[in-house]
Amino acid sequence: MIRRLTFNLAPGRILGIVGESGAGKTMIGRVIAHALPAGFAVTGGSLRLDDDNLVRLTPARRRALLGRDIAFVPQEPMTALNPVMTIGAQFSEHLKRLGITSRRTRALELLDAVHLRDGAALLRRYPHQLSGGMCQRVLIAMAFAGRPRVIVADEPTTALDVTIQARIVQLMAELQRNAGTAMLFITHDLRLASRICDEIVVLYAGRAVERGPAASLLAEPAHPYTRSLQLASPTMTGPRRALLALAHRMPGLLELAGMSGCRFAPRCPIAEADCLTMDPLDRAAGPMRVAACLRVDGAHRIAVSGLPVAPAIASGKPVLRLHDASKRFRSFWGATGTWAVHDASLVIGAGEFVGLVGESGSGKSTVARLIMGLERATSGRVVLGDRDVTRASAADARHRLHWAQMVFQDPQSALNPRRMVGDIVTQVLQAGRRPLDRTRRMERARELLAEVGLGADLLERYPAQLSGGQRQRVNIARALCAVPRLLVADEIVSGLDVSVQAQLLALLLRLRAERGIALLFISHDLSVVRHLCERVLVMHRGDIVEQGPTETVFASPRHPYTRRLLAAVPPDDPALPWQPFPDEAELMPPAGPPRAAVAVPSR
Amino acid sequence: MNALLSGRVLVGAALILFVSLCAMFAPLLASHDPGEQDLLNILLPPAWSSGGDAAFPLGTDSLGRDQFARLLYGARLALLVAVTAACGAAVLGTVLAHIAGYFGGFLDWLIGRAVEVWMSFPPVILSLILMVGLGTGADRVVLAIVLVDWTRFCRVLRAEVLVTTQRDYVTAARLSGFTHLQTLIREILPATLPLLITLLSLEMGIAVIVEAILSFVGLGVAADQVAWGQMIADARSNFALAPWTLLLPMAAIFFTVTGFNLLGDGLRRTLDVRQTIARSA
Amino acid sequence: MIAILFLLARRLLTALPILLTVSILMFVALRLLPVDPAAMSMPPNATNEDIAAKRREMGLDKPLTTQYAIWLRGALHGDFGRSIQLRRDAGHLVTAALPATIQLALCAMVIASVLGLGGGLLLFHLRGGASEALGDLGTTVLLSVPEFLWALLFILLFGVLLPVLPFIGQLGPQFSVVRVTGFLLIDTLLAGQGSAFASALAHLTLPAAALGIAFSPAIMRVLRSGLLDVYHEDYIRQARLRGIGEGRILIVHALPNAILPTLTLMGVQFGFLFGGTLLVEVLYSYPGLGNLMVDAVRNADLPLIQTVGLTYCIVVLLIGMTVDALVLVLNPRLRAR
Repeated sequence: MIRRLTFNLAPGRILGIVGESGAGKTMIGRVIAHALPAGFAVTGGSLRLDDDNLVRLTPARRRALLGRDIAFVPQEPMTALNPVMTIGAQFSEHLKRLGITSRRTRALELLDAVHLRDGAALLRRYPHQLSGGMCQRVLIAMAFAGRPRVIVADEPTTALDVTIQARIVQLMAELQRNAGTAMLFITHDLRLASRICDEIVVLYAGRAVERGPAASLLAEPAHPYTRSLQLASPTMTGPRRALLALAHRMPGLLELAGMSGCRFAPRCPIAEADCLTMDPLDRAAGPMRVAACLRVDGAHRIAVSGLPVAPAIASGKPVLRLHDASKRFRSFWGATGTWAVHDASLVIGAGEFVGLVGESGSGKSTVARLIMGLERATSGRVVLGDRDVTRASAADARHRLHWAQMVFQDPQSALNPRRMVGDIVTQVLQAGRRPLDRTRRMERARELLAEVGLGADLLERYPAQLSGGQRQRVNIARALCAVPRLLVADEIVSGLDVSVQAQLLALLLRLRAERGIALLFISHDLSVVRHLCERVLVMHRGDIVEQGPTETVFASPRHPYTRRLLAAVPPDDPALPWQPFPDEAELMPPAGPPRAAVAVPSR
Repeated sequence: MNALLSGRVLVGAALILFVSLCAMFAPLLASHDPGEQDLLNILLPPAWSSGGDAAFPLGTDSLGRDQFARLLYGARLALLVAVTAACGAAVLGTVLAHIAGYFGGFLDWLIGRAVEVWMSFPPVILSLILMVGLGTGADRVVLAIVLVDWTRFCRVLRAEVLVTTQRDYVTAARLSGFTHLQTLIREILPATLPLLITLLSLEMGIAVIVEAILSFVGLGVAADQVAWGQMIADARSNFALAPWTLLLPMAAIFFTVTGFNLLGDGLRRTLDVRQTIARSA
Repeated sequence: MIAILFLLARRLLTALPILLTVSILMFVALRLLPVDPAAMSMPPNATNEDIAAKRREMGLDKPLTTQYAIWLRGALHGDFGRSIQLRRDAGHLVTAALPATIQLALCAMVIASVLGLGGGLLLFHLRGGASEALGDLGTTVLLSVPEFLWALLFILLFGVLLPVLPFIGQLGPQFSVVRVTGFLLIDTLLAGQGSAFASALAHLTLPAAALGIAFSPAIMRVLRSGLLDVYHEDYIRQARLRGIGEGRILIVHALPNAILPTLTLMGVQFGFLFGGTLLVEVLYSYPGLGNLMVDAVRNADLPLIQTVGLTYCIVVLLIGMTVDALVLVLNPRLRAR
């Protein structure tokens, strides 16, 4: 899986390991922890921590090092703490193992160091009474407790909201600076890595393709893959440009066995014949820079040009109008309830792409469910075209079929694993009183697959046989079957790698150019919204706090929440300073009920 | 498909097949009528032990009836009750589970409360009370088992339906214009089917036991029908003298139930259902 | 603490409508009966007029709802009617028989828990090895043996083949014990009768073991699969990465989490187990609720059936409540609300 990976990490430095899913990032942490999944083994090489070779340690020695000299910050903070033990008990267990005697005092110091107030009360709490960000702070405090020599942080912020993510990253950098610890920061986000790391290793299909100081690596990528990664990510500043959409996808484990040359060559825009056969060895690519490429100085030739966005087809006729739509979820018996959406108004014209941003629990998804008739509005009106569909009756549902369709967030859950792709994309034609026969449906399925850039050979496949990107295309194809005028897309690119994301964004833009479809694009990723949508709405705790043309809102945000959201995104240019706002809500220990009631949509 | 042929499934199916064949060909296999009394030959041991008689391969009971014939005819009743009762309970429980899990709200609440009321009765007690009310007979036994054991299906399947209903593809089906009934049949039932089949097999084993218990207490089938539970009850007075009269029906019950359980257990593994269902199911 | 009291109060509140529904269902089910309880309670030479008079006396001529109302009023005042067969107050009969059954059930529960939890740990320990399949097969086979087969088997093995333990009644005939609590094990100790205590314990051994064994494999399985699930959790991995030893991970981190689903299942199992006492009591001629029930059923003794049936329900609900309270104590996620 991983081949010939070499890196050095000096005390007080942060090394970033950057790669897309399947690149082998997580494997590195697992090798260090000696927790490889079944079927994997370290076949050679060494991993030294001062005098210890971590690959060949006795179990006793390894256990002695773990937690004390090597500490881990996990990916999913909410599940990494034992739910039936108090924070205090888990702290105490850890500190006791480290041989610290005045455990309570030390625990309070540590909590203070990660900016958690009222540590004494916190120690009595259970993990489920804390937010994800607070859990991660607790785990970070525990990781630093033993003044370890190395900290391994595997995607420590991926599971958190953007504003919290920014704070956690800064916190880790701050603690690491003060303690002089070395840190391995594993992430998929090149931009984030460049902000915190001193040095970066870019991983592709288990191979380190490029290595170098963070600033110069980002400013001038030497390997075509790093360059492509950069060009595939949408930006937050500067003119909008098209994204580089690499063809195919990263080779999987089985494909790797049959490859002899550069593992990136089949997708590389500047590859030549020898790339496929010759193993590119590490070559110097500037001061302190190494890249594994036969054409080290060719990367800058990769470029994309032009506008990504076909000009909006602004016709006067709106496809969707929401008038003061509100949704309140009531408890079964109770009179009290929480407003998931409060007086939301929005208009989407034909062919218009509108972004809806906000953090988890802000009510974005409820807006989508109101439009789709999956929830009935408590008050206000939902109008699709010229028909009021607020009541969500059966006739409304038939009308909606040709006006609005939904693309779901998680293609894993959105595609029935027991049905074939051909049946899934044409299920609209199977519904109703007069279902179409199979031959006619397969004909239509073929058209639909072609429209989303998939081959007809997938017709008889099951979802489990598809890649993540293919599944999301099938998901879109199904929504297109009834030829709706509006797509409602809820976080449809959030789980995907940037190169796949770029392909999907291009597809959505092409659909608009070809058939003038409108889009409500719900996302937490501001740069994607900036790339795709000319208008944006910002939601915060059920309210639409700001809306307007994307460029205007992002350039001069008026609402404090929008400002905070924007500040949390690291600027593209590594030279610009990154100053996320201190997150007040995060620092405040929750009063009363443990966590703000997050509206769980009921059926 | 090759997974379907796992060891457990094979052994379980073989056991059930064996018992079924015995039941089906009982009149051909047995040389005596199961009710025929031979008061000269009472409590004969099996043919192979000393004092045994080749005319009674597995010996006789206290009334001189042929144990072999009684076992075979007992299998008929046991399987008949097991299959019909389990299917009945499955249909009732599955329908209610899907209604509760899919629609939620008041219906779910109502069905949930009904299950709670049923669960507060130990099954044995409830079936006894029902048998008092219904009277004896094989059809009554089936009815009692259905009325008692639908909750086993309802409880377990409802949770599964709930999980499936929250999947986005079910929402997508609704948005594609499927009716509730179409959605239930096309999207949800296929997902719950493996669990249902597993439960069905396990329930057949349970039904065999319940039928034996009711016959043992004397509330099962009419006195002239042969049931394993009845054989145990008859043998109780003489078991010190003739332990085999007790052991034979016990073994019959054990092997039949093991067959159903192995089958169910094997199916659970091969059909990849959640691991947590045990006897509580 | 307050949360637990609150939960118990809520459970009690929901238990009342359940009991009411149960009593109505039983009332209706028993009135489907083709036999006439009035006729059964009369001598065979009674005339039709006598029977009709008896029916009036028993209130059987009134509409079902009125009959139920009369019964309910009585029940609320502690009067559950008179047994037709035994001609005694049904409530008294039940209170006399209940301690013996509870004693049996409690001993069986202890045995089931010890075997179930121990077996579950053992099965978990065997995971991944060749003996795992064997252990799995073992539990499947164990699950196929219901309590009444165990009871019969134990009688044959330890009563007849190796006559080491008694299998009739709950006390040797030579002893007489003053009933104080009704629980023989306690009463013999209170009276200072050591040998009677030993006899009572010996009489309890086989039926309790039969019941306990029958209900243990389900517990084994749930504990094992609970542990397997928990070991996939991030917090176990994270504890390992903190260098915590495997023994401590099992005892401090895994078990307290895995025990929660196990306890919930044990609540259900113990409800079934309490029903299972019926057959075991019959087989061991153990004078408890089960024998009372079977006699009542055979004689269509409606008031007694109704009272005993309700008693079973009350005990099952109490078991459920106890387990719920225990889960609440052990699970902070439920306690917070």
